[in-house]
Amino acid sequence: MGLIFQEYLPGPRIFKCSNCKAHSAAHDQIYSKHFQGRFGRAYLFNSVVNVCLGPKEDRLLMTGLHTVNDIYCKCCHQIMGWRYEKAYDDQEKYKEGKYIMEKTRMLKEGW
Amino acid sequence: MGAIEDEEPPLKRLKLSSPGLRRGLEEEAPALSVGSVSILMAKSLSLEEEGETVGSKGLIRRVEFVRIITQALYSLGYQKAGALLEEESGILVQSPTVASFRKQILDGKWDESVVTLQDIDQVEVEGNTLKAASFLILQQKFFEQLDKGNISEAMKTLRLEISPLQLNTKRVHELASCIVFPSRCEELGYPKQGNPNANQRMKVLREIQQLLPPSIMIPEKRLEHLVEQALNVQREACIFHNSLNPALSLYTDHQCGRDQIPTMTLQILESHKNEVWFLQFSNNGKYLASASKDCTAIIWEITEVDAFSVKHRLTAHQKPVSFVAWSPDDKLLLTCGIEEVVKLWNVETGECKLTYDKANSGFTSCGWFPDGKRFISGGVDKCIYIWDLEGKELDSWKGQGMPKISDLAVTSDGKEIISICGETAIVMYNLETKTERLIEEESGITSLCVSKDSRFLLLNLANQEIHLWDIGAPSKLLLRYTGHRQGRYVIRSCFGGSDLAFVVSGSEDSQVHIWHRGNGELLAVLPGHSGTVNCVSWNPVNPHLFASASDDYTIRIWGVNRNTFKSKNASSSNGVVHLANGGP
Repeated sequence: MGLIFQEYLPGPRIFKCSNCKAHSAAHDQIYSKHFQGRFGRAYLFNSVVNVCLGPKEDRLLMTGLHTVNDIYCKCCHQIMGWRYEKAYDDQEKYKEGKYIMEKTRMLKEGW
Repeated sequence: MGAIEDEEPPLKRLKLSSPGLRRGLEEEAPALSVGSVSILMAKSLSLEEEGETVGSKGLIRRVEFVRIITQALYSLGYQKAGALLEEESGILVQSPTVASFRKQILDGKWDESVVTLQDIDQVEVEGNTLKAASFLILQQKFFEQLDKGNISEAMKTLRLEISPLQLNTKRVHELASCIVFPSRCEELGYPKQGNPNANQRMKVLREIQQLLPPSIMIPEKRLEHLVEQALNVQREACIFHNSLNPALSLYTDHQCGRDQIPTMTLQILESHKNEVWFLQFSNNGKYLASASKDCTAIIWEITEVDAFSVKHRLTAHQKPVSFVAWSPDDKLLLTCGIEEVVKLWNVETGECKLTYDKANSGFTSCGWFPDGKRFISGGVDKCIYIWDLEGKELDSWKGQGMPKISDLAVTSDGKEIISICGETAIVMYNLETKTERLIEEESGITSLCVSKDSRFLLLNLANQEIHLWDIGAPSKLLLRYTGHRQGRYVIRSCFGGSDLAFVVSGSEDSQVHIWHRGNGELLAVLPGHSGTVNCVSWNPVNPHLFASASDDYTIRIWGVNRNTFKSKNASSSNGVVHLANGGP
């Protein structure tokens, strides 16, 4: 519907959606690589582009109870991961506002 | 206006005047008639003190009012009426000394004019102004003498009359150099003429007028100036004003109703088979081009009054068409597919003249230069190319830092190219000086639109605001318009209305939003479409017509409610709406 407004990332090393190749995140926004998503390894990013958020829900993850939003690619609606809205454990507070992107759902470009 | 008001106030003021005067007037009160009222006025004025005012608010001084009316009568050519008014009111436009002063300057009698200058009421004029005025007079005398060839006379003037004034010695030196180098007169603004030119003398008179206090010599055309000021204020206060006729009526306060802006759907155009993403009116307002996801572009033509019909269907693209651009003479049309080639079409025949292709061309938008012979295009490969009409690439350069150029435009004087650079910045390349200017924004810019006079830039941002920038030498953000929805798609907005008074934009809530450009107020929200409104375009020639393109496969043409509009036009001769029903 309409010409979808896509943001484009400048950096040489970026991640793209595996389905529609729209830019998703930049390599220098990686916060941590040691995460587990639903489908395997996942990275924690500071910021991502071209995603839209799903509804809030409380989920019990490996590290405890969190309030998360699922994130979908803006262009093809593939589920890419989730965003931490709120963490109930003090140790996990650093994740709030950051995004988890599944490695299997992304393509690497630039290296 | 003036005549009526002159009758009323004296009757009111009869009560306010001093007791002695009142007694005198009361005796004559029974014999009131038009003629005697004016004689009474003259009498009351001869005994007048400061503070006699005209008008309901007491802002206008009677003496000044009559003087400028007299001046207006003279300047309109009604000499007898002006003289009669001066006689009846007993108020002179200018004192006899000033009148003779003017005459002397215009006749070129410089020495007498300097003397008269001294005579003009010394109380109101400071010493410095007298000197400056004398300087101007003597300077003109000097130049005219040089003109005629009387060099010794000119030197005498310079030595004995101008230098003792001890004003502006630099200028005096320049004048001295004029004696030796006659060509320097031209540089100083006094071209050599055979006969003393009346224009030059008027110029000197005007300069002196600016030096002297205005009560001695009233600036020319003062009444017209005041009336135009008032009309300007009314016009600016009227937010719905949208008509082609610049003249306003003096009879009533100007106030347009809401029906001056197009709010009614006149026509729905349904020829596209998929979402319509872009549309634009031609520069002469006769054609409309629309681009759609069904890989075609359609040129529409206005047949009768505001009725559109398909002129040509342009079907050569493989991918959805996302952009069209009319050439300045409206004979050629450029279409751009999404990340595809650019095609040049002939508007009359509907044939594709040329296809512009680059290695892995991914052009997204294009813009014409004002000479209509070249255009630029930019796309995915981060470069901007300049092409000519034969298919040759004239120039190209690589932008820095931007991954993809999503929108660009050329200013109407052809000097600058404006394009989106990176996410949140706009870069303006100046083609002559090869410099760049940056505008930083707060969030992602989805589309841009530059006004016809290249003064303003409209940016649609991803954070649901539209920003208006002034792109003069230091560019600054003027206003933000909000109220529409935008988050996912590229929504475009544009300027419109007479004098570009309005900003109109599409929105994801299927409604068209219209704001007043000057104060940012949301004037109208127009429902009607059943899908996101992607793009709007206002007819550059007809301020009461615009079109909107939507995801519901249709284009809607919006206009004013013709019945009410026509009847109001019939009642007032210059298109001003009398009924002041400017409510929401």
